[in-house]
Amino acid sequence: MKKTILALLASAFVATAAHAAFPDKPVTITVPFPPGGSTDMLARIMTPKMSEKLGQPVIVENKPGATGAIGAAQIKRAAPDGYNVLCASIGVWAANPFLQKNLAYDPAKDFDLLMVAVKSPNILVVNPNVPAKDVKELIAYLKQKNGKVSFPSSGAGSSDHLSIALFWMITNTTGIHVPYKGGGPAIADLVAGHAEVSFQNLNNVIQHIKAGKLRALATTSEKRSPLLPDVPTMVELGYRDMVVTSWQALGAPKGLPADVKAKLHESMVAALKDPETAKKLTDPGFEIVASTPEEFSRFLNAELAKWKTVIEVGKITLD
Amino acid sequence: MEILANLSLGFSTAFSLANLFYCFVGVVLGTLIGVLPGLGPVATIAMLLPVTFSFQPVTALIMLAGIFYGAQYGGSTTAILVNLPGEASSVITALDGHAMAKRGDAGKALATAAIGSFIAGTIATFLIALFAPPLADMALKFGPAEYFSLLVLGLVVSIVLAHGSLLHALGMIFLGLLLGIIGTDVNSGAERFTFGQPWLADGVNFVVLAMGMYGLGEIINNLEKKETRDVMAKKVSGLRLSWADFKQILAPIMRGTVVGSFLGILPGGGAVLSSFASYAVEKKLSKNPIPFGEGAIEGVAGPESANNAGSQTSFIPMLTLGIPSNPTMAIMIGAMMIHSIQPGPAVLTEQPALFWGLIASMWIGNFFLIVLNLPMIGLWVRLITAPYHLMFPVIIVFCAIGVISINNTEWDVFMMAFFGFAGYLFSKLECEPAPMLLGFILGPMMEEHLRRALLMSSGDFSVFVTRPLSATLLAVSLVAMVVVLLPAISKKREETFKE
Repeated sequence: MKKTILALLASAFVATAAHAAFPDKPVTITVPFPPGGSTDMLARIMTPKMSEKLGQPVIVENKPGATGAIGAAQIKRAAPDGYNVLCASIGVWAANPFLQKNLAYDPAKDFDLLMVAVKSPNILVVNPNVPAKDVKELIAYLKQKNGKVSFPSSGAGSSDHLSIALFWMITNTTGIHVPYKGGGPAIADLVAGHAEVSFQNLNNVIQHIKAGKLRALATTSEKRSPLLPDVPTMVELGYRDMVVTSWQALGAPKGLPADVKAKLHESMVAALKDPETAKKLTDPGFEIVASTPEEFSRFLNAELAKWKTVIEVGKITLD
Repeated sequence: MEILANLSLGFSTAFSLANLFYCFVGVVLGTLIGVLPGLGPVATIAMLLPVTFSFQPVTALIMLAGIFYGAQYGGSTTAILVNLPGEASSVITALDGHAMAKRGDAGKALATAAIGSFIAGTIATFLIALFAPPLADMALKFGPAEYFSLLVLGLVVSIVLAHGSLLHALGMIFLGLLLGIIGTDVNSGAERFTFGQPWLADGVNFVVLAMGMYGLGEIINNLEKKETRDVMAKKVSGLRLSWADFKQILAPIMRGTVVGSFLGILPGGGAVLSSFASYAVEKKLSKNPIPFGEGAIEGVAGPESANNAGSQTSFIPMLTLGIPSNPTMAIMIGAMMIHSIQPGPAVLTEQPALFWGLIASMWIGNFFLIVLNLPMIGLWVRLITAPYHLMFPVIIVFCAIGVISINNTEWDVFMMAFFGFAGYLFSKLECEPAPMLLGFILGPMMEEHLRRALLMSSGDFSVFVTRPLSATLLAVSLVAMVVVLLPAISKKREETFKE
């Protein structure tokens, strides 16, 4: 017994002298986007409780650029000592590899996956002037308009762009994809009636749905959202493969010592399970996942496979 | 009378001890980050968001809003004193404000900015109280075609900005347009002119360009002729505005307020246009013997008022529709959602205390700002009388810190240094950077909206003239172009006659 403890101690000491008492300095969570987006919000809401649990400050650092690729590549190159953590979205983890030609990281190979923290369903919304009252009518409308219906998204290659592509693929329809610089202006044009149909994060459109400025036709989650109990899921309507959620997940550079990994994971779970923190996340529409690293790994592989197909079949390219 | 009841509810909310205190904290913080070049309200608000978790929602919003308009306010101080515009809106203030400072009138310029901002802020607060919902509906009338036409008008007006050679101005506008194209194309997602470098993928940052062209360029220039700097610092004259000065700036302030209030409500860059538009209006109407660009006081009064009115009215689409008109408003929406408030039409009816409290706090915040800043003017002015060999290294360091804080990348500092050198070169060639910055801002926006409008109309150009609002804006641009060009033509005629 004593020997094993000694051996453990020794190996811990040899591995990295610093992590003998991880953490003994502030932990940095890198968000590869500018301040203010969903991912940044998640990180900033989680960190106070994580700091409490770890007994060291947890700092959020924004490293935006190239739809998250710059920040992710920086974390890949950082030391795997637990002090460098990446908090990124579905785009960084599952879409960039098929969209960016010279991507400097491989999401499945370069990181020690920690957890999927939260997810939020996308909602199929239309401007109230669009005659379609449900998905069936929308499909008929799209076919009748011969593809001349505008679908705004928050950017070329964004998760809502991919949702649109998947929708067209599954329902055998088409339309005009109109990319914007972020979700805000896209929703503004949708509300104003300059654009017609879109998939948007629930939290970004819920107030417009409640105010009657947008009509919700379906949700893309597996189950109906408690915030919109009357809106059916695409699965219920018979489109089994039309399951799209936006998600945020955390990872660290490959080669994290097991005890450090466990400690980090534990602090994240503690933060997400804290009722006050959880409320701050569920109120704006996030669903808390707080997965294990193994669940994240399986999930990531499934997502990578799915978006590879959508991007290839939908012929989505960024050039 | 409903409006009085609403405002009294607002003021009774905003006058609670905690709300007053955090409003004060917000505007002080905002002024500070505004004064420091490069540090912007977006990053500051994001960083302070977790601090506000424990606050009442209205208190949190009051403080965050205070940071936003406090920063707008502080930004003009640096622009006037050291020619360092940290935000697009203060580029214009720097033009004549810094020229005034060089003349020894820094105090006057700062006082003008302060009083203009206060008056504009007060009027804009009442505009929000009176007309928020109808104004928000009007903002929604602006689709891609309307935006494009508005931007055409902006670009035409920008020619007015130039003083000196029209050819130089056009050259600089086009250079700005080209620089603006660098980065990822919104429509296709393709990278343009990035040479495969990831640090260029998001384009050149405005702050990097402006601080290089103005701040560093100016420093190199000053170092070259080192006497002028200390001489100008010695002849600091009036700190206060005379009654005659006040009469001179009152009309520009009012016009600026109207222009700013209107453009501020447009989501997507409307607020940026407001100070440019106001400057153009004042330049056209001015009877000041001092030419614009060489320290005309109207050139500070109008745009500063427009800028503050615009930042105030940019709350309208956010509060009444839940639509952010700029990145700061996007963070404010996030802040509201964390506090379990869904921004949108329901806020007005379900949370009247929050809505009116926030609006009332803006007026109180503006009051704090003027009380705080008028006595500070003496101090600021004394700051620039510091010996230049001590001043310029400090400015450079702050610029570098500010630039690093935007994207956390050292490349931006290198780029700023490059543009600093370019700025020096352009001043040697007598090419003004202001038209270039305008081209830089407007160019990519114009392209984005043009292509979006055409995408939606399936390539049919007639959308720009069949939509009434768009057609009107294009017609106004045409008139403006004629008005701008006519004096130039007639002046040339005069010159030919002289010879």
